Amino acid sequence: MLKNFGWKTIKKYKLEIAMLTPLVLYIIGLTFVPIFNTILMSFQDPLTKEFGTLDNYKYIFGRPEFKDAFKNTLLITAIGLTLEMTFGLIIALMLMKKFRGRGLFRAVLLVPLGVPTLVSAVMLTYVFNTNGYLNELLYRLNLIQVPIDWAGGGMKTILMIVVADMWKVTPMIVLLLLAGLESISDDVYEASAIDGASTWQTFWNVTLPLLKPSITIALILRAIDAFRIFELPMVLAGRSTPVLSTYAYQEYNSYNNPYTSAAGSTILLVLILIFILGYLFIVEREKGVK
Amino acid sequence: MVKGQENDRLAKIIRILFWPTVIMVLFFLLVPVYIMVKVSLSAPEDILTQHPPFLIHNFTWDHWIKVFESGNLWEPFKKSFTVATTTTILAIMIAAPASYVISRMPKKVKYITILTLFLTRMFPEVGIALPISVKFLELGLLDTNLGLVLAHLAKELPFIAWILVGTFETIPRELEQAAMVDGASRLTALTKVVFPISLSGIAVAAMFVWLDSWNEFTYALYLTLSDRTLPLQTYYYIMRGDWFQSAAYATILTIPVVIVTFFLQRYLKSGYLSGAIKG
Repeated sequence: MLKNFGWKTIKKYKLEIAMLTPLVLYIIGLTFVPIFNTILMSFQDPLTKEFGTLDNYKYIFGRPEFKDAFKNTLLITAIGLTLEMTFGLIIALMLMKKFRGRGLFRAVLLVPLGVPTLVSAVMLTYVFNTNGYLNELLYRLNLIQVPIDWAGGGMKTILMIVVADMWKVTPMIVLLLLAGLESISDDVYEASAIDGASTWQTFWNVTLPLLKPSITIALILRAIDAFRIFELPMVLAGRSTPVLSTYAYQEYNSYNNPYTSAAGSTILLVLILIFILGYLFIVEREKGVK
Repeated sequence: MVKGQENDRLAKIIRILFWPTVIMVLFFLLVPVYIMVKVSLSAPEDILTQHPPFLIHNFTWDHWIKVFESGNLWEPFKKSFTVATTTTILAIMIAAPASYVISRMPKKVKYITILTLFLTRMFPEVGIALPISVKFLELGLLDTNLGLVLAHLAKELPFIAWILVGTFETIPRELEQAAMVDGASRLTALTKVVFPISLSGIAVAAMFVWLDSWNEFTYALYLTLSDRTLPLQTYYYIMRGDWFQSAAYATILTIPVVIVTFFLQRYLKSGYLSGAIKG
């Protein structure tokens, strides 16, 4: 279709081109151009409007909030992905068994999918507040005497955001992995049973390798969203625990500086690209070795 | 589990831990929902205390009455509803024809196009929203429904195109070719044959888009000064520390989602296509 592109081709495919053009123009105009603008702005001098300066980056690298945001984003992504994938896999494996109440279990599992992210953040503020329900539970179990300030910053705030994120997205991972598990044929399991493989050996040598494509998809989709996390830290942690997205927002909204905000967004974009390319590179190389 | 694996140590541990895990997962999933509804129905002395009870001790409708009587609900509700509906209609109109073309492309070109659509997902929303917000400020589009619809479309179009390409791929080319043999033009074949068959797929995609736009927070935050959408109104009450209003608003925000998800399930089951091929 792209070869010999000329008037003839255009004429032949004029209906197709007319149908495709609005979408292409829109995505270029309101996604690619803005992202390109953001990258340009991050190299633009706020006062003289000249391009090619690194001042915006120097400025944000000097801000303690930015260093925090960078560290928090990486921590939330790393801890969140590990826990979500682990629990997602466990729950998916459980759903492969037949047991009483499986239908109910599956239905309840879909509940977080139907709850808006913002609402899940609201729910978890009630749980994690200083006079919230988690502290009350811990108090009644005699585990704590003084309420914990979960939103106060540091590791416990990161854990709080991770738990909130887990609540919302683990079901999605379960569905993705379940689709993968269901596509593995029973024959493979029977063969491994005949060979006398233990439960662990079957899981490690049969299930996991066959599930790898589903895991890759779930991991990449989730990693992108975890890097871009915005609503949950906004609502749950406010300014005590910034992440890159909320940092970029604050630079624009509170300090009215679109240029440093653009620099923050650009770093986030680079981080996401490095992760995905790095991950695909490792996965592809492993294939080559085998 | 297949025979022979039932009695090693791991299998025993799994059997012992199975039901406790089921119960803990159910608990973890349901408790936050319960707490939200509970907060919206509890008197302040149940909530604003050092040691809140787990059950509702003092039931009240006060917060809900306040939500409806304060007059702060209708405007954000109307804005969110209008924006979500307009976004959905425009998204279908732009994405459906294009997705059809993409689904009929040669394999390699199609793969690259879909990958490009996926690429847009990797862009941080704050990076897209920033220049849009700066631009819309100049154009006077902040706080308008139009501005928000334009921004939401940018978010939804790649997503809906992605779903619809999958829908159109399942429709065999033979159907439209048969229509053209019978003398229909390409355009007629599309509008009279292909689109009616893909209607259920389009409906599902439309509902996803509607929900996503209804819940959308980031772009709304960047593009709003005073005329809040429903998610922003909820956020506003959270920031003011008003637990009861935020709980009630969050519940209101969730209700349409529950309803639409319910309809979505019915659509997902319909075997629209199999009949068309056989007939």
